[in-house]
Amino acid sequence: MEESVISVRGFRKRYGAAVAVKDLSFDVKRGEIFALLGPNGSGKTSTLESLEGLRHPDGGQLSVAGIDPARQPRRLARLIGVQLQTSALPPAMTVDEAMRFFAAYHGVAEQPALVERLGLAEKRSAQYARLSVGQQRRLALAIAVCHQPRVLFLDEPTAGLDVQSRVDLHGMVRELRDRGTTVILATHDMAEAEKLADRAGILLNGELAAIGSPRQLTASGARRTRISVSTENGRLLEPGTRVGGAPLARSEEGYAVYYSDDPGRTVTSILAWLDQAGDALVDLRVERPTLEERFLEITTGGRA
Amino acid sequence: MNAFLHHFAYDFKTGVRDRSRLLMFYLFPLVFFFLLGGLMSAINPTFLAGMVPAMSLFAFMCAALLNLPSVLVTAREAGVFRSYRINGVPAASIVSIPVLGTLVHMAIVSAIIAVAGARVYGAASPTALPGFLSGALLSYAAYAGLGVLIGVVASNGTAAILIAQVIYIPSIILGGLMVPVSMLPGALQKIALLLPATHAMRVMTALGGVGSAAAAPPVPWGSAAVLGAGTVLSLGLAALLFQWDSRASQPGGRKMALAILAAAPYVAAALLG
Repeated sequence: MEESVISVRGFRKRYGAAVAVKDLSFDVKRGEIFALLGPNGSGKTSTLESLEGLRHPDGGQLSVAGIDPARQPRRLARLIGVQLQTSALPPAMTVDEAMRFFAAYHGVAEQPALVERLGLAEKRSAQYARLSVGQQRRLALAIAVCHQPRVLFLDEPTAGLDVQSRVDLHGMVRELRDRGTTVILATHDMAEAEKLADRAGILLNGELAAIGSPRQLTASGARRTRISVSTENGRLLEPGTRVGGAPLARSEEGYAVYYSDDPGRTVTSILAWLDQAGDALVDLRVERPTLEERFLEITTGGRA
Repeated sequence: MNAFLHHFAYDFKTGVRDRSRLLMFYLFPLVFFFLLGGLMSAINPTFLAGMVPAMSLFAFMCAALLNLPSVLVTAREAGVFRSYRINGVPAASIVSIPVLGTLVHMAIVSAIIAVAGARVYGAASPTALPGFLSGALLSYAAYAGLGVLIGVVASNGTAAILIAQVIYIPSIILGGLMVPVSMLPGALQKIALLLPATHAMRVMTALGGVGSAAAAPPVPWGSAAVLGAGTVLSLGLAALLFQWDSRASQPGGRKMALAILAAAPYVAAALLG
């Protein structure tokens, strides 16, 4: 059985009369990238911050690398790395000073290669206040991983980053995972979660609405695979056309759009039909439901 | 170099690098010292007898009472404490290091005041240096304790400034920095005993053997005890009320009510004095 590094059992968190999280339970295994998804106010940040030791749970049990975050925050800090969504460093602290400062508190040597890897080499002497938002987030990530934590918490890690920086960061997170670091990621970027996460949990009103791999989550939805076809003569767009039992859903910019539960069979039927009808294929696109569509289906109750 | 020393070195450097700290640590107190020295030595030569402790104390108040609370409140509001917490920086370091870093800057400023005061204006120098340093350290600690406590309990930067001014302005006017407390009307002398500055001036002047106290310095143990108790109480309350995060702060009224307990030694001094 795979080792569970993060364990959440019946976790509850409230702020005054407002209940942020109610009876949440899930596990994250060693070396897994787990995405925590949910709309604003769903309880993601409360859950993450309680796991990080920043907030006290009102009920249930939390365990991170065998440590109760609320009881042993100092011990926990040595084992986890955190890139918070809202945090800051002193404005006058330079990149080099920040790396030295936090490496010293973590009891490890400085990591100059990390600064280089995150594209901050030319900013070593720049003060935190003079860094761009993207550079500040990269510095926060460098600090979070400088002590090679067993568990890495990333809250909106790519917010404010350009495309290249996102790709670099994703590569780095995968490398960390491959070295055995457990990563828990909160993001609004469904494409990022789908690309990076081994498993994801969708929170809704403080409860776990769905959990599984991105593939499992999308497969469990009501949405079917979308097939878009463009042909030379546009025969598929003619009214009343039926192909292999699948009715034409709509036409969109010259494409005939079908939805199918059995995309392989539908595509074969379309190709055969075109051959018989004397038309030729120009373009064919098969798009399985995305995590974003599944997320919207869950969070809006299918209204999206 | 261990984490505490790294943190201390960083904080000390920031005292010069950060413009607002540079202003409050050096520029404002030293410009005030040179301007006031020129003015007061011309119109009130007796001012020179207590000039060194008075101007040193003025610098302590600028740094500890006006700057320290802002540093703490701004850092907490910006989320710096959250970053510290998740990286294992202890609360004790967050509170103590700015106090110690500021102390080193204040030692430099006091040395400038002592040397320049004597050379430029002919101000009385401390004749008992260890005593003066002890008195200065105790006085700084009392103000630093209050500064830290204000930084911990103030809900935002504006509140911190307002609370600090409640102590700062009466300290300048009634605390014996400009005019000896003995020259104030009786009722104001009582009020002056509520202020740390009054006790700090007594202790620094007497222990340092400055001016008229040089001949036969009566040791003001009562004032020293008041400053000591005030320091312990304010730092203890700051530790008790410390919050990592503005969002998780306790109700402001309760915090403020507890913080006011730090005034107990000064109230006792006013009632008994």
